[in-house]
Amino acid sequence: MKVKIKSWRGVAVWKWIANDDNCGICRNGFDGCCPDCKMPGDECPLVWGQCSHCFHIHCIMKWLNSQNVHQLCPMCRQEWKFKE
Amino acid sequence: MANIATQRIQREFSEVTKSDESQKNLISIELVNNSLSDLRGYISGPPDTPYEGGIFHLDIKIPETYPFNPPKVRFLTKIWHPNISSVTGAICLDILKDQWAAAMTIRTVLLSLQALLSGAEPDDPQDAVVAKQYKDSYEMFKLTAKHWTSVYAMTGFDKWRYPDFDYKIQRLMEIMKVDEDRARVALSSNNWDLEKATQSLLS
Repeated sequence: MKVKIKSWRGVAVWKWIANDDNCGICRNGFDGCCPDCKMPGDECPLVWGQCSHCFHIHCIMKWLNSQNVHQLCPMCRQEWKFKE
Repeated sequence: MANIATQRIQREFSEVTKSDESQKNLISIELVNNSLSDLRGYISGPPDTPYEGGIFHLDIKIPETYPFNPPKVRFLTKIWHPNISSVTGAICLDILKDQWAAAMTIRTVLLSLQALLSGAEPDDPQDAVVAKQYKDSYEMFKLTAKHWTSVYAMTGFDKWRYPDFDYKIQRLMEIMKVDEDRARVALSSNNWDLEKATQSLLS
């Protein structure tokens, strides 16, 4: 028997691989987006600090911009540095 | 309120309600005027402290910029504690000021306040009079704090009574024609010395 595929459609699921389920700043799930975005995914990416804590980029930027003196991780209060 | 503040408070509400501490009636929160920026918090006094058995009411105001700035919290229930003003209820606690972090929540704030009741920091006082008593005559501080707890933070019939304090308050009210709260503050601030308390009200 010979089967000929005439057409096919790929379906994929994606998921952030983070060590937590929620963003510690907005408390929304990482599978969702920050409160100011509509679509999860590339529009509302996650970023990691060198301390290994992870947040929505929009949330951590708001936090860092609100800090005048030291830029600390909102979770562990180590100095915040983006992980390369 | 900004999007993020509203959403977070809504989430935090259910978090507190579902938490172990809330199930055990150690902490709780409720809305005031149906506004998410105005909350009322309740914490129970920790065991083995002068605050045991009391329920302390807190006024919690959520700023527009929450969670990037801390909530504004003060005690509504009068309390005798080195880091809490006996007059205004203002709190001296680093996480409510410069040590705030966006990952903290109303729940963690209430638990930190409970921890503050268990362990005062008399070297970083909000109420200098209380802090001095705490350092100089700790037994007197404990009795006074326990007295305030029973008067202001407890309801019902299991209130702790210390007849000597009650008697002195009555005497001072008669001598100086002041109300009960003022008499209690004057005596508490003067190690329950009736004469000194009278003088402090005269000056």
